[in-house]
Amino acid sequence: MKKRVIVLLIYLLSLPIVLASLFIGPSETATPSAIFNLIFNNEGNTYLIKSVLFDVRLPRILLTFLVGGSLAISGCSIQAIFRNPLTDSYILGLSSGAAFGAALSLAYAFLPVQISAFIFGLLAVGLSYFMARKNKNVSTVSLILSGIIVSGIFTALLTVVQFFSDPFKLQSIVHWTMGNLHNANWEKLQSAVLPLSAGLLVLFIYRWRLNVLALGDDEARTVGINPKKDKLIILTAATLGASSAVAVAGIIGLYGLIIPHMVRMIIGPDNRQSIPLNFVFGGVFLLIIDNFSRSLSGFEIPIGVFTMLLGAPFFIFLMKKTSIGWNS
Amino acid sequence: MEQLSHAITAKSLSFGYKNTLVLDQINMGIEAQKLTFILGPNGSGKSTFMKILAGLLTPQKGTITMLGKDASKLTYPERSKLVGFLNQQHKAMFPFLVEDVVLTGRAGFINFIPKETDKAASIQAMEKAGIMHLRHRKYTELSGGEQQMVMIARILAQNPKILLLDEPTTHLDIVNQSRLLNLLKLLVAEGLTIVAVMHDPNLAFIFGDDFLFLKDKKIIRSGETMNAWDIEFLKTIYHGKLQSIPHNGRSLLVPY
Repeated sequence: MKKRVIVLLIYLLSLPIVLASLFIGPSETATPSAIFNLIFNNEGNTYLIKSVLFDVRLPRILLTFLVGGSLAISGCSIQAIFRNPLTDSYILGLSSGAAFGAALSLAYAFLPVQISAFIFGLLAVGLSYFMARKNKNVSTVSLILSGIIVSGIFTALLTVVQFFSDPFKLQSIVHWTMGNLHNANWEKLQSAVLPLSAGLLVLFIYRWRLNVLALGDDEARTVGINPKKDKLIILTAATLGASSAVAVAGIIGLYGLIIPHMVRMIIGPDNRQSIPLNFVFGGVFLLIIDNFSRSLSGFEIPIGVFTMLLGAPFFIFLMKKTSIGWNS
Repeated sequence: MEQLSHAITAKSLSFGYKNTLVLDQINMGIEAQKLTFILGPNGSGKSTFMKILAGLLTPQKGTITMLGKDASKLTYPERSKLVGFLNQQHKAMFPFLVEDVVLTGRAGFINFIPKETDKAASIQAMEKAGIMHLRHRKYTELSGGEQQMVMIARILAQNPKILLLDEPTTHLDIVNQSRLLNLLKLLVAEGLTIVAVMHDPNLAFIFGDDFLFLKDKKIIRSGETMNAWDIEFLKTIYHGKLQSIPHNGRSLLVPY
């Protein structure tokens, strides 16, 4: 019963938090009192305030929400199909792969950013998986290690791209890889909304199958599920969601690891409930972090910095708590 | 008519891992609506044999027929409606509730989201397996024996015609062993065919209808003239210090 109250609160509070976020930001014109003044007394610089609210803040809020929800759901699905509570898109090297793909596209414009990020994200996951595979078995630890290697490779390649880019492009690439939402706008939102929603929709449809797959390949096969096919579909959808998030917001490290665990603590591991909750909680929580990052100091702290500082100790805690082995 | 009485038949079945042959040209039939036990020394390939029957391993040679159908041509959902399989060990990574684990047995019937009928079937299965009191517990926090019963309830929810159980009584105490074996007898009386690997020949002799022994890559039966529990026959299977004592018209095996 207590669980249900918390879940209900999360769902109910999400909309007010989204609305409240409209009032937060470094602008000296669109302060909360100025906005209230405009709404209730119809006084103030209508045009400027409206522009800050609807062209700057609203697209950013929506994008942040989508990115947060998408990283959380994709992390949750990846953990289920790899039967490994210590992974997410960041740890598997997916984020670095997608970042490299996106940077390549930013620097040389040979493919649309989203598509390039998706291709290299998928490539990175594939590499991590096959490097970790030994005797048809992928252990928890070897998957993490191969993820580190793959992540290293693509980070190095990303540096190469940066090295050969002209200073203007370089600045934008560097800023964006740190994980940043400050240049969100309607166009960015538009470019991301389709691939993000497609990935999320597939994962939402497959949410119960995740339970079956999380019990293991043999256990799935004997009850009538083809694990190879299902895992490929789910992994592709998760990669689509996570790589699109990277393409618009840069690397937001470990976020896909933290949120699914928090959601599991609240509601348990049943993915029928946890997938939708991951979306809402992941979206709202990233929005809250972003609100801090754009109001704590005069300049914006990249959001990826926050999630890494939050995620790293959390990862260590999980590693200590879950007794993981090389063979399981 | 001979073929119809068999739920499973294997013809010249061979299987090996890399360089070691485990099963060599096996021919056998498992009678329908009987409780058949597979016995044999450690490492004789009992689990491998069960995994082949369950479709988890593909034999290099030979064919398997299940209820008249070529097993190699069955799709995953088709097979799941014919055969259920209990693996020797299962490790869960996430603390799913018992009722959620049992519900996954219905996967072959479910497109994407379980319906009320699936929930009803898994509740019925939990009642049958006697684990209703565990339904809201976390699977990962149960004892080995309780987990075993959960996985058995999962197969019952799956509702197949044939049950393949690899050492279903391990982790169970003696009372629960008898409870489970009596449940298996009841299921056979209701029309199921059950094949189970047993570690303990005595439990098999008390409850079983038919016995197959795996030894030296072959399946051996006691033949027409001898019973499976005859000590002379058993000595050809298990080498070592064994004697038999009579029990309910059969014999039990005691080490000395």
